[in-house]
Amino acid sequence: MVELGRMLRIDARRTAVFISIPVLVLVGIAAAWPTLLPGVAYWDNAVAALGASVRLLGPAAAALGAWVAVREHRLDYLRELTTRSPAVGPLLDLLLLTAVTLLAYGIVGTIVLVQTALGEDAGRLHPLGLLAGAAALTLHVVIGFLLGRLVEGGPPAGAGGWRGPLPVALAALLAGGGTWLWAALRSGDAWWSLLPPAAIDRVGLYAGVRPGLFADQMLWSLGLATAMVVSYAWSLDRRAALAVPILAGIAVTMVATARIHSYGGAAAEPAPTGSVCRHWPLKVCVHPALRAALPDLEAALTPLAARLNGTPAAFTRVEQRPADQPAGVRHGVAGIHLPDLSPGYQVRAVRELRATLTGAASCAAPHHARGAAYTALVNAWLLDEDPPYIHDATAARRFARWSEGARHLWLRQHYAHYRACLLGPSDFAWQARPPL
Amino acid sequence: MIVESPAIVARDMGVRRGGRWLLRPAAFGIAEGVTGLAGPPGVGKTSLLATFATLRRPNTGTLEILGFDTGDSHNLREIRARLGYLPDNFRWAATLNVRDFVGYVAYYKRAPKAAVDAMLARMELEDVASMELGVLPADVRLRAGLAATCVHEPDLVLLDEPCRELDEPARAELMPLIRSLAPTVVLTAPAAQQLTGWCDRVLTLVRGRLTGSTEAIWGAGRRGDVTAPGPALPRVPVGSGARG
Repeated sequence: MVELGRMLRIDARRTAVFISIPVLVLVGIAAAWPTLLPGVAYWDNAVAALGASVRLLGPAAAALGAWVAVREHRLDYLRELTTRSPAVGPLLDLLLLTAVTLLAYGIVGTIVLVQTALGEDAGRLHPLGLLAGAAALTLHVVIGFLLGRLVEGGPPAGAGGWRGPLPVALAALLAGGGTWLWAALRSGDAWWSLLPPAAIDRVGLYAGVRPGLFADQMLWSLGLATAMVVSYAWSLDRRAALAVPILAGIAVTMVATARIHSYGGAAAEPAPTGSVCRHWPLKVCVHPALRAALPDLEAALTPLAARLNGTPAAFTRVEQRPADQPAGVRHGVAGIHLPDLSPGYQVRAVRELRATLTGAASCAAPHHARGAAYTALVNAWLLDEDPPYIHDATAARRFARWSEGARHLWLRQHYAHYRACLLGPSDFAWQARPPL
Repeated sequence: MIVESPAIVARDMGVRRGGRWLLRPAAFGIAEGVTGLAGPPGVGKTSLLATFATLRRPNTGTLEILGFDTGDSHNLREIRARLGYLPDNFRWAATLNVRDFVGYVAYYKRAPKAAVDAMLARMELEDVASMELGVLPADVRLRAGLAATCVHEPDLVLLDEPCRELDEPARAELMPLIRSLAPTVVLTAPAAQQLTGWCDRVLTLVRGRLTGSTEAIWGAGRRGDVTAPGPALPRVPVGSGARG
């Protein structure tokens, strides 16, 4: 082991391959970041983001592997004349490349996980998800390296073999482009989109990655990588005993493929989660990962609740709902969707709730166009926005003159017309009467 | 004279590259001692040397190295354990220091650490052992290359244009060292004049044919010692034995 470590150290210095780590890290971060839920620390999705980083980091690692494979062709005279197995040299290269790639992946993973840990974290961290990503990266390195060996082919450099920049570029292009295409062309719900590197979109709140998927993906990558590496070693060494790990690798890959097929393309499944609440003046309950948003949500939703008080849409409780459940007010409970905490999330929540107050279909009907304009006037008030321009300037003027209390009273009396986009000039010829 | 226990025996061996004969099928043997292989650039010296090193297969005929048939893949490891090969450049090691370079090659040859130290001492490289190859003068760099090539004490050493970057004094200093590397040494040069006087025999590769001469200071008068080996083959001097 000491000798092996010394050789790896020398190879690392000689090939200067560690220089590529910052580039790989940047690529990994750039690929992972869009998958993270803005402002939300959700472990399930953090692991999915690391999986997404592999979709770009993998092709980059494959290109690096191909480049090194072609460049190290110049050492073949030494490695083929060895008294050890002729596979030793290439395997050392693979080991070094894998170490470099996994180091870059480790840095990306650390950044993503620390970022998640620093937030109001929720969900489950899946160590197998991290390992599945590492295994997929290893497979990319193997594919790139072997493609590079295939492209350069021929007699060893220094032994009459031809070499030049073309094989390097060709190998890197083939490896990087091919693996990128494999990742990019798979999306949607097809079962094979879950083959590594899996096309898993964001794992939303109230959802979790299906148990066992990461383990199957890891086995798939490791099985295939093992079969490929050992097959290559066999091509150099011709040792019959190598057939065992080759067949074992193929068998593991086939079993893992069958298991991944059984998921039917669905990576995530519902993950019922409790909620955290703020109780005054409204009761607002959200996913634990969003607890930091409670004060802002409370502040944003309270004016709307106050203006709807006394109407059929009155609510005193707000609950965050999973994406597959509808938003809207029912029995005094307002359901909202809040997939992340990207800037403006409070406004989006209020607007979503307001949008559920009116019937979208009836307001969009051409014969309700005039009523829709009046409804927009009321919407602007409900949302604390500037009133839109409407043709009926008289109605607009009147509505603008009314006090907050008068508007509130007016809405309680005209809510049915408002909801159905049936408001007209006569609805605004209304005089607030002092309470008896 | 007939070669006694030649290190390299070729029977009807031909080497092609890109549809061109680098060496037309020929029968010859190379005996112990120092053999020079001369020829203009591009003529195929490197490919022929690589064929002797078992890095390429002959396109026709058979080749025996150190008594083993290279056509039998089971022999290759045995042959490779007993030969050393130094290509015309080893720039890949420019960033390594001399000790690491020799140690790196020694790993692939399964040579112990003591062999590395001994070889560094033998090549008088101890003072520069911690210096990078890229900053060393050409003659010291060649010494390092020779140390790496011979760290496992091979029986056959193949050197591809080792003196290319050396001036005459450096060449004069290093040639005795090269002669002592192994029982059989084969080295190449672009012109026979660079080898004449230092080698026991000089072969010239021109248009796919090997021709022999024995203008060598240590082997003067041994004309014809590069011949077809073995009783089964006619004694054909290199060159005249080449075919179509």
